[in-house]
Amino acid sequence: MPDARSVVITGMGALCAVGRTPDEMLAALGDGRSGLGPIRGWDASAWPTRVAAEIPDLDLRKLVKDRKLLKLIRRTDVFGLNAAAQALDASGLIEWRDALPADAMPAVNDRIGLYVGSGGSLCEDQYDYFPLISESDNQLSAFGEQLSATVNPMWLLRSLPNNVLCHVGILHGLKGANACITNHGVSGMLAIFEATEGLRTGEADRAVAVGHDAPIAPQNVLYYHRMGLFSRDALRPFDAARNGSLFGEGAGALVLETRAAASERGAPVVGEVLGGGYASEATGLAAIRDDGDGVERAIRAALDDAGLAPNDVGMVVAHGNGTRASDASEAAAFARVFGSSMPPVTGFKWSFGHLLAAAGAVEVVVALRALHAGVVPGIATLDTLDPACAGLTVSRAAKRPRSDVGLVISRGFGGTTAALLVRAQR
Amino acid sequence: MQRRRVAITGIGMVTPVGNDVASTWDALLAGRSGGAPIAQFDASGFSTRIAAEVKDFDLRAVLDDRKLVKYANRSHGFALAAAEQAIVDAGIRPTAETATRWALCVGTGMIGVPYEELEEVHDHCVRDGEFDPKRLLDDASANDPMVFCRSQAAAGLALLGRRYDIRGYATSVHTACASGGQAVGTALKVIRRGGADFALAGGFDSMINPVGLSGFCLLSAVSPDNDAPTRASRPFDVTRNGFLLGEGSGFLVLEEWESARRRGAHIYAELAGDGNSLSSYRITDSPPDGDGPIQAMQQALADAGMAIEALDYINAHGTSTPMNDRSESAAIKAVFGAHTARIGVSSTKSSMGHLIAAAGAVEAIACALAIDRSEMPVNANLETVDPDCEHLAIVRGTPRRGLIRGALSNSFGFGGSNSCVVFRHPDETDAQLAAGR
Repeated sequence: MPDARSVVITGMGALCAVGRTPDEMLAALGDGRSGLGPIRGWDASAWPTRVAAEIPDLDLRKLVKDRKLLKLIRRTDVFGLNAAAQALDASGLIEWRDALPADAMPAVNDRIGLYVGSGGSLCEDQYDYFPLISESDNQLSAFGEQLSATVNPMWLLRSLPNNVLCHVGILHGLKGANACITNHGVSGMLAIFEATEGLRTGEADRAVAVGHDAPIAPQNVLYYHRMGLFSRDALRPFDAARNGSLFGEGAGALVLETRAAASERGAPVVGEVLGGGYASEATGLAAIRDDGDGVERAIRAALDDAGLAPNDVGMVVAHGNGTRASDASEAAAFARVFGSSMPPVTGFKWSFGHLLAAAGAVEVVVALRALHAGVVPGIATLDTLDPACAGLTVSRAAKRPRSDVGLVISRGFGGTTAALLVRAQR
Repeated sequence: MQRRRVAITGIGMVTPVGNDVASTWDALLAGRSGGAPIAQFDASGFSTRIAAEVKDFDLRAVLDDRKLVKYANRSHGFALAAAEQAIVDAGIRPTAETATRWALCVGTGMIGVPYEELEEVHDHCVRDGEFDPKRLLDDASANDPMVFCRSQAAAGLALLGRRYDIRGYATSVHTACASGGQAVGTALKVIRRGGADFALAGGFDSMINPVGLSGFCLLSAVSPDNDAPTRASRPFDVTRNGFLLGEGSGFLVLEEWESARRRGAHIYAELAGDGNSLSSYRITDSPPDGDGPIQAMQQALADAGMAIEALDYINAHGTSTPMNDRSESAAIKAVFGAHTARIGVSSTKSSMGHLIAAAGAVEAIACALAIDRSEMPVNANLETVDPDCEHLAIVRGTPRRGLIRGALSNSFGFGGSNSCVVFRHPDETDAQLAAGR
């Protein structure tokens, strides 16, 4: 008899460079197709890094129909709103709620939580002040005087890192517990993690978890290059020739409900969150430990939380960001956790790029679609496995998962690692 | 199984009215304002030229780690100083044995790039009013990894984690003005569910720079009372006209109750309950009827297992904007009914100003101190109470003294996130535990 407060997934949505839906993204992985290509957002021909996975043929107005709202939000927020709308549509939650008697609705809305992983602010957000700095001739007194005539009065609101939280709430009337996590590469995963804990502990009965990011901007790309984090050409997780990561953009979202809440409305259950684990390494902003200590602890905590053994895991979606240090330390952690009985390991960033705050949410959604389809997608950019990662069960070719349980890993600045265990409904 | 309880055993603050706990608390009891003309930059052309700035702060004087100081922007400096106070005060810190059992939960501000660096990029890259991205390629600031590291949303988290060797759950949250409250609430939940046994939790922010101030001036959210900076923040007064922008940091050391008692730690208060809601109304406003904040307070009280009869003090969000204070007053009345006449209310923003992402953290500390010292800080600058707020028992003139069994801190953010955190007197907690509750 499953626990009534165990957490099921009743709707999912995602978009990134290789697809506008989770299934399009899974198909791209199957085809060995990468979204990484020359940057088109600005003339990056002279940039030391000229490659990213931008969403092609993008018309923001098609992703968010409300024109007034579109003026109030940033590109990253548009992605988040779109993924959330996909997930909510698939779940039928809003339809179900709207059919309730009017007096029953507020109590339901108060119990729908919203947990968002957001990329926070970019340097580029402040470029809106360039015309004012020019006009005021670098004189702050003039800057202040000409402010209201030059800068969009809504600048601050447009730049809020918690805009997706705000507007998904307003659009759908969700009023429950909430969080906005600005924790770099683990933000999206932590949003799912905190939503799950919220449902388990009774903070909410239903929840939307979203991760969104749009980091492909000129100054930001330059910084990642200077930090030594970027490849010049391609993202090759665990390959001997790997030389760094590359950006992607997009969002992922899930509707989560307690089992009791889902069955109350006869919701379509597509999967289950079995458990999560989290650890940090106290290594500063960008450094990580070589031995994968944080990754190992996060995985063990997730297994413990789910009450599972390493052998129960059917597929691992690694963080696999393509940097020398991160991939090697991750492989070391997998070797210690799984020993000689390692399930098939893969990663998605070679195709999607690194979506930072969106990565965890997007990769959990696609992992669930892959498990559902009974496939572990291969890593098309893998040529020669790095000897430092020997024993790692990655391959170019697709494999079959050895069970319907997936382990997904996200890592971020501050030496943080989050691990999530999910089961797909077959 | 009994639910784990959480003790507050260390506190630290850097605020516009004092660079430590003792001086800040004195100012909050006296209702001394930190408001003054802005000193950090030439604000003479702005519609609002006043703020509550942290004064005479020198990070190098409080922190011996030169390398860490290099990686810190202004708000990180406040955070490192406040966290150091809290860790020293608690008398406990992560060790090789306990590092993975420590959590770090911080509410972090939204502006990472100092104005000087924005201006530098502008001067190098804008020609004849046109931004030329190519010029970024040989711009000093745009190629400086240190600038990047300081600007990151996770920068403060990374600095604190490294300084104290915290290796457990670590998160940065941002829900605008509710960030600090949500960070403290998150730490409570993490310890309760067994994800950690200890936590360093707090918030830090500094938006007193040309871009930050601009954002609030453009929204007419800040008080324009440039000639009376110490009177500009007057929550619940009928003449209130906006908030006073502050800056600073607050940090708390939290511990699982039994282990704090075992080691004989001084416990300021139990961190007893957390409530969160979304207003889903408008991006900057609270609904006039208090919908949203009402649910947050009710959830926090229920989460704490505290009856409204046992609550004695409310540290209000009380920003001094016309909208917030009216909405919050309505919400308090809706939640506490007849008890509203009994429960002391004050907004310490009347003295400190609004510390934005740090506000919820310093105000949580104000609640813990109020319980610990049996005195409620005053709501400064209140002359004529807004008729809409008359039902509140606002603490005016002098601190209200007497046992505080329960206290509550509200933080409501742009974007509609409402955070409420509830605190209990340690004697009450011990009595409940002795009674097997």
